[in-house]
Amino acid sequence: MDELNPQPEPSIFQRMRKKLVPEGIPEDDRGRIRMVVDSFILHIHPSKVEASTLKWTYTWGLGGLSALLMTILGLTGIILLNNYTPAAPQAYFDILEVNSNVWFGELIRNLHHWSANLLIVVAMLHLIRVFVTGAYRPPRELNWLIGVVMLLLVLGANFTGYLLPWDQLAFWAITVGTSIISYIPLIGNWLSQLILGGPEVGANTLLNFYSMHISFIPLAIFGLMMYHFWRVRKDGGLTRPKSANQIEDGKVERVTTIPNLVHKELIFALAWTSALLLFSMLVPAPLEGIANPALSPNPAKAPWYFMGLQELLLHFHPLVGAIVIPGIVVVGIFLLPFFDLNLTSVGIYFRSQRGRALTLLAAGLALIATPIWVLLDEYILNWAEWLPTWNTLLSNGLIPLVVILLPLILLDEWMTKKYKADIEERVLFIATFIFTAFIVLTLIGIFFRGPGMSLYLPWNMPISH
Amino acid sequence: MNTKHSFLIESFIGLGSLLLIISALGLYILNEPVRIVQAQDEVLALQLDEAMTLYAENCAVCHGLSGEGMGATPPLNNPALLTMPYEDLYKTIARGRYQTAMPAWSIEDGGALSDYQIDELVTLILHGDWGATGDRVVNLGLAPLIPFTTEADPALLAEIGNLPDGATLQTAVTLFAANCVSCHGADGLGTGIAPALNDPVVREKTAEEITRIITFGNTGTLMAGWSNILTPEEITALVSLVQRWDEVPLGTIPAPDVPIAVTEESLALGSQLYAANCSRCHGPEGQGTPRAPSLNVRSFLTNTNDQAIQQIITSGVPGTAMPTWGDRMTEAEIQAIVGFIRQWEPTAPEVATITRPGGGGPPWRNNNSTMPNVLPNTNSSTTMSGNSAGGQTLMQSLLDWRLLLLLGVLLSIAFTLIYSGWDALRHVPKKAG
Repeated sequence: MDELNPQPEPSIFQRMRKKLVPEGIPEDDRGRIRMVVDSFILHIHPSKVEASTLKWTYTWGLGGLSALLMTILGLTGIILLNNYTPAAPQAYFDILEVNSNVWFGELIRNLHHWSANLLIVVAMLHLIRVFVTGAYRPPRELNWLIGVVMLLLVLGANFTGYLLPWDQLAFWAITVGTSIISYIPLIGNWLSQLILGGPEVGANTLLNFYSMHISFIPLAIFGLMMYHFWRVRKDGGLTRPKSANQIEDGKVERVTTIPNLVHKELIFALAWTSALLLFSMLVPAPLEGIANPALSPNPAKAPWYFMGLQELLLHFHPLVGAIVIPGIVVVGIFLLPFFDLNLTSVGIYFRSQRGRALTLLAAGLALIATPIWVLLDEYILNWAEWLPTWNTLLSNGLIPLVVILLPLILLDEWMTKKYKADIEERVLFIATFIFTAFIVLTLIGIFFRGPGMSLYLPWNMPISH
Repeated sequence: MNTKHSFLIESFIGLGSLLLIISALGLYILNEPVRIVQAQDEVLALQLDEAMTLYAENCAVCHGLSGEGMGATPPLNNPALLTMPYEDLYKTIARGRYQTAMPAWSIEDGGALSDYQIDELVTLILHGDWGATGDRVVNLGLAPLIPFTTEADPALLAEIGNLPDGATLQTAVTLFAANCVSCHGADGLGTGIAPALNDPVVREKTAEEITRIITFGNTGTLMAGWSNILTPEEITALVSLVQRWDEVPLGTIPAPDVPIAVTEESLALGSQLYAANCSRCHGPEGQGTPRAPSLNVRSFLTNTNDQAIQQIITSGVPGTAMPTWGDRMTEAEIQAIVGFIRQWEPTAPEVATITRPGGGGPPWRNNNSTMPNVLPNTNSSTTMSGNSAGGQTLMQSLLDWRLLLLLGVLLSIAFTLIYSGWDALRHVPKKAG
């Protein structure tokens, strides 16, 4: 054989080249780059998308922005990882070192910090967008559930990351934030011990939070993100935007993904990257003195996104304020796609003209009612003192809960009777009311709570030491 | 807007963003070396700040108010230390120095300081400002009250010479005044850092034991071994002093008059505390009232040294209206008052003119009235500790233009939302059924 066919064996390099460079490559440069780009992009996107879903004002690019922020967080996180020891108090000195002794260390840390905080806002807005356009309805129920789980994971990632600088801000925010855990009935104390690695926040907590922050949570988010993207394609792409006044004509205009969608994505990513970069260059991430368990700041506040919860705790029995109310809200969000099945309003912002009107009404009412309730409860209402013989779970938990739920239920009744609002419009009304109230509570918690968690005007806030 | 038009606009936004990223990064890179230096300066300042407090809490008691050293303890403000390698300084603090009073400070060696804190102290030695450190020690009330060294009272020293083996006791008293008094106190009565030696329990110890402690030091305490500073004869003399102290009259080794250190902060604090606590009886200018004697008078200020005034304030004067202040004020606060009183000395009159309280009409006739300001406090500063709430509560400041503006914005947004919602609701065609 060898003598008949003198062709030599291909060398190792030729064999490697043959494996790496596939057959049938176009001859011209243009064709080659097309081949690479197309095969990469068309793995994520379908080859054609509906033209109407490309409208900025429909999706606001919130899902894409979340993915961009996750990417930035992953990259900056890996860089930060190289300069961090998850041990108290070395962690704090490492952060000082990152800021003062590592080239671009502060920029990387700022980028990580601000992206993480922006991600919370953007993920929330993404959820709201999907909710108000009814995009969670069949067949997209599963993707809604995945999205909600990812939002909870993002909150978890931010919360665990909050402790890592090991400064006073981190230490006390986590101390306040985790104190809520022990209010969970039956397993609260055990769970708190498990998460904190001891009776209070300490070196073990730092190690626990670190391992969660760099391994389990990002892995889980990454996996779910892949699934989330894939399901978007499986469920037939984005929902089509519709106008509440027009009846759909049934015509669907489809355009190619390249360049129509990719162009928009690229520009969106560029614009946000430049904005984030600029912000991170100008505004440093906060870093206070080293964590000191003996010196608690007054007031000690949870991370900003939990200030709504902390505000609830000031008004309700802890079981109601920290477990029952947030629990009902989260379960409600999970169950949403299963009792709201009207497919005709998918893609219409706020369902219908009536839905839009009710949303405005709910937001306005909550904007007024929430501060009034906070002031009343702070200065006048005192259920525990008025009903001294009652269990505080009743006097300070259930009674105020009923008192604020009653007007909401009456409003709901009135809408149904007078305006014949259907189930989806009622859900929209209640959800808008609760969400606006939660935002107002969060703002009150962040800006209006001073020493002793009593109410102050932001400009009269005493400087805490 | 047609598709092509918006495509173009988007492209321009993208290009602009790209240029922004490139130029911002370029500027940032150029500035990075400057930023790093600034950040390092900030960390240095932070470390020095913490180190000064550490120094006040741990080191000042032996190394002095501002690192000038004390008795046998070497000074730290010595320029020679700046040439020492970092490792040597770190090791000295962390592991201590054998046969000296310097103990090991590292937590690993049973001390009180973490590696980082020791690092900070080395930083203080190499980069610190000893004047500022001294101010910090005074402001924290940790100024060492102990005199560096003292001299024996000559008359009493001569008297000791008449005792049996008086020459040995004389030598010992002189040595004690020069070396030991800084820690063991005047007349060997002890201080906060070292026990009393003029004590029956100590006198019962054998000469061997006392000799051993003086020669080799007492492990685990600040007591150093003195064998390389004192000769065996001198140590023997000191042992006999410790054993025969009951024969030495009190006052032989007196505490010298060391003025209490004063800073601007301590003067301000002293003035405030004096006005709040002392002026009612001693008069606003210390001129005295029928209730209490004048302080701002030459006869008092020249004859009473700082330690004596501090003693009077701390323990009170039994049988008079002067109460014990030691349990209501910290040492730093009392020292601040002493410093405040002391600064009257240059201008104090020979004879006091005691004022009688009262007169001057009702308080609102007074120009510098101390009436509390009832109007909302616009600059948000902390109030005195008397107001437990600390600042204004929401209810106290309802009449404020910023609050009215906030309420106005909130209400107008809310009413716009409600009105437009309600208005739209009326015009929506009702569903059938």
